[in-house]
Amino acid sequence: MASIIQAASRRDILKISALTAVGGIMGAARASAAPKQMTMMHESSFIPAYDAYFKNTIAPAYEKATGIKIVYETVSVGSIQTRDTTVAETGTGAEMAQMAFNWPFLFDEKLVDVTDIAKTIGEKGGGWHANAQEAVVVNGKWKAIPFGNIGQLMNYRTDWFEEVGVKSFPETWHELLEAGIKLKAKDHPFGFELGHGFGDNHGWLYPLLWSFGAREVDKDGKTVAIDSHETAAAVDFCREFFQKTMFEDCLGWTDVSNNKAFLSEQISCTNNAESILYVAKRDFPEIGKATGQAQNPKGPSGERFHMLNPWTHGIFTHTPDVQAAKDFMVWLMDPKQVAGWYDVADSYYGPFLHMYDDASFWHKEPRNLPYRDSMANSHLPGWPAPISRPQSESVAKYVVVDMFAKACAGKSTKEVIADAAAQLKQIFKSA
Amino acid sequence: MFSWLMVGPPILFLCALVGYPFLYGILLSLEDRPVAHAGTFVGLANFVADAHDPVFWRVTINTFVYTFFATILKMIGGLGLALVMNQDFRAKNLIRALMLLPFIVPTVLSTIAWMWMLDPGFSVINWLLRYFGLANPGPSWLGSPILAMISLIIVNVWRGLPFYGITLLAGLPTSSPDLSEAATIDGAGTWHRFIYVTLPLLKPVIFIVTMFSIIFTFADFQLVYVLTRGGPANATHLFATYAFDIAMGGGQLGMGASVALAMLPPLALIIIAMSIYMKPNKS
Amino acid sequence: MSVERGGLRLRALKLWIPLGAFMVFTLFPFYWMAVTSIKPNSELYNRKIMPMIVYHPTLKHYVDLLTETNFLVWTWNTFLVAVVSTAISLVFGTMLAYPLARMKFAGSALISFAVAATYLVPQPLLFIPLADIINQLHLGDTLTSVMLTYPTLLVPFCAWLLMGYFRSVPVELEDAARIDGATRLQTIFKVFLPLCVPGFISAGIFAFTLSQNEFLYALIFLTQTDVRTVPVGAIAELVKGDVFYWGQLMAAALLGSVPVAVIYSFFVEHYVAGLTAGAVKQ
Repeated sequence: MASIIQAASRRDILKISALTAVGGIMGAARASAAPKQMTMMHESSFIPAYDAYFKNTIAPAYEKATGIKIVYETVSVGSIQTRDTTVAETGTGAEMAQMAFNWPFLFDEKLVDVTDIAKTIGEKGGGWHANAQEAVVVNGKWKAIPFGNIGQLMNYRTDWFEEVGVKSFPETWHELLEAGIKLKAKDHPFGFELGHGFGDNHGWLYPLLWSFGAREVDKDGKTVAIDSHETAAAVDFCREFFQKTMFEDCLGWTDVSNNKAFLSEQISCTNNAESILYVAKRDFPEIGKATGQAQNPKGPSGERFHMLNPWTHGIFTHTPDVQAAKDFMVWLMDPKQVAGWYDVADSYYGPFLHMYDDASFWHKEPRNLPYRDSMANSHLPGWPAPISRPQSESVAKYVVVDMFAKACAGKSTKEVIADAAAQLKQIFKSA
Repeated sequence: MFSWLMVGPPILFLCALVGYPFLYGILLSLEDRPVAHAGTFVGLANFVADAHDPVFWRVTINTFVYTFFATILKMIGGLGLALVMNQDFRAKNLIRALMLLPFIVPTVLSTIAWMWMLDPGFSVINWLLRYFGLANPGPSWLGSPILAMISLIIVNVWRGLPFYGITLLAGLPTSSPDLSEAATIDGAGTWHRFIYVTLPLLKPVIFIVTMFSIIFTFADFQLVYVLTRGGPANATHLFATYAFDIAMGGGQLGMGASVALAMLPPLALIIIAMSIYMKPNKS
Repeated sequence: MSVERGGLRLRALKLWIPLGAFMVFTLFPFYWMAVTSIKPNSELYNRKIMPMIVYHPTLKHYVDLLTETNFLVWTWNTFLVAVVSTAISLVFGTMLAYPLARMKFAGSALISFAVAATYLVPQPLLFIPLADIINQLHLGDTLTSVMLTYPTLLVPFCAWLLMGYFRSVPVELEDAARIDGATRLQTIFKVFLPLCVPGFISAGIFAFTLSQNEFLYALIFLTQTDVRTVPVGAIAELVKGDVFYWGQLMAAALLGSVPVAVIYSFFVEHYVAGLTAGAVKQ
């Protein structure tokens, strides 16, 4: 076995150098054909006008002003992290990329320090929201420019809630449970994701955990704090909430499932970003009229929480002309450009700059205002611990989600918390 | 000499494009290697951590269950399919090609179709149960841990069966008068003919297709990734998806590589078995 | 025809019932795709109506797919990539399989092991080093990048499959040709390879299909919409966050697969004739 590997590596080197020579010739032709241009990599938006605005308005305007062509590369939602990783690892490809969650922290060493332009942009824009920094400031340096938050709210059917006598969305989780029991009896169950999607599971389970006063890890980012009475209360509640208001399939859901279930009128309440309301208004006007959005309920602690899902823009260190990329970033984030971009997305991306707190796009659809108001108590998974590698691993392994999911499927509270605590201790051992 | 001239170029090609990634992967698995950071050599620490990770063992069991049942079903079904399609019937070629459709259609897209067919709100089975008032909403194909695994196996078989069938078909004798007559004269029944004439002819092809099917199923990724991403609560996580989540989602390239390389020993055994079986002097 | 004499019941038992069952299992999802691709969204999401029937068919999804996305470009790219990768894989596969199946030489067992060992490299994770190679060759965003990398997934299986078929061709046929004075290469091209057409079709179908299906390498190496293949293009532009453009996705699935099946139907005609007929005659 070892000999095969050694043999392979020797031939390998020969072959690669031969191929490089050929590739060099082919590559030269390409490089000369494309002078000054930069690429911005972005997750494709479900709002077609949003991607189109960059391609048709922003990029041409910049090319006209500076002669630099900005290529806009779109990647599907499940693939963007893979693409970002490849670019960061190989040091080739897009100069600028959109990131989410704590990626500026993950890609830290491969990202340019943008503290200077973040200051400039922040001053011009009335200052940054405090929690924006949770995701982009790594060791005191800004590693990306916050763009917008994709908030997660309670999405519910106002008409069905009214039928069971609930006029405004419940203020606490327990009131929501009461409403859910009545609604399920009328064949309008709730549907919250408990499976392995990328966002809608964490989107309500972390806020639920927090609002019961429980924490995954202590503020120090090292001490596992999941084994607590508060967690037990949250898990007990979740099990009851699931069993009395939902149905089994939610345990296997991914992010698309609750959109599908809501729009096919299978469920009366879920936790999701604005996409449900947006598509409902476009394709299912009747449902659109009866869809309400509300902030997450309060827990026994009297607090309410939301998931922070910040989209940010980073510049990779392999960028040949860092200044040009920074210049573009500043230009892009100028209200003259970016306000229009926010606007076509109907406030789906909630800006992190205070100057937009009362921007006109918030009032186009008053039902979206809770997104703005939820910003103040939105946090990344793992909060109040600072972002860290073990934290990423915990999310990737769905430790908290599966703790709740297993309880919902019938395991005892003690058991699921012990499982999660053991897993987290292993994960945070290195911290 | 002639042999070496022939095998040389493809071997070089494979070494260049596979050898390097392979070594790189082994190196990764021995490092604490966060994404976009330099790694530190940690020896077998990642594998030790895997051994302490209950999800890793869950994933191991899942992968074996998934591979075992999917392969058995594809083998039996594929053989049946080949025998059925080996007969003479109208529009034979078109039907044979149509049967290949599940294999042809891009997996990511067909799996998206299965998302609906396995949704209790829309699956025909659930619709019928609801229609006749037998159950509401009926079985949860992806929500119950056992059913979710069964559903994935069904989708995998659906995808892999046609290629099995068509490959075995190519190894089958045509419904040639010579052969069946010869067998009939010998007084052999259909079953005997199958066991003593057909099966031995097919043996090498069955063997190869099965072995490769095991390899591909064992390392399957796309199907799970689109359908459940490993849920509910890891009930359908496989080596490849778990490794991917850790490496990409968690940014732990070293640990991800160690999970992926855990596939190596069982697969290596299979491949060694293949090499022994296929030695040229044996027939 | 002895089967006809056996009566209709026997034929139903041996052919139509199992064939029907296989066809339902295999093709039902395609029926579903077809139905979905012509359903308006209001019907697709309506779970009160029977999901298998379309009440108000529409071609909107097809029109949107063809006018609003680069689907035709992706199709052409996919076709090019699949043809080239298949050709490379078959040539390399034959170069490996013939010596391994026919000649005894030192190291043949080792080589056959090493070829299959290619699959020990877990693809979902180790695209990073491969991406590195591709970038060093300056092949990012070119179809060449996937034409070069797909054969790494295809050659080993093709080689092994061909080995299996090559073995089943009787050596005597070649020996006879050699005695008649043909050189080794002549024998291979004139006598041997034509007998293996079914094997090539089988390996070719495998290679062609896998290369038009592949997702991960295409995702990593092809980042611009005009060089993408169908799976990556469709997912990038029709799966938007948690909103899926179901109708267009299903239209893409059908348009991307049914024509290929029809093309295959011309090949399968030659499929069963060659090799086994020869093998049985001897």
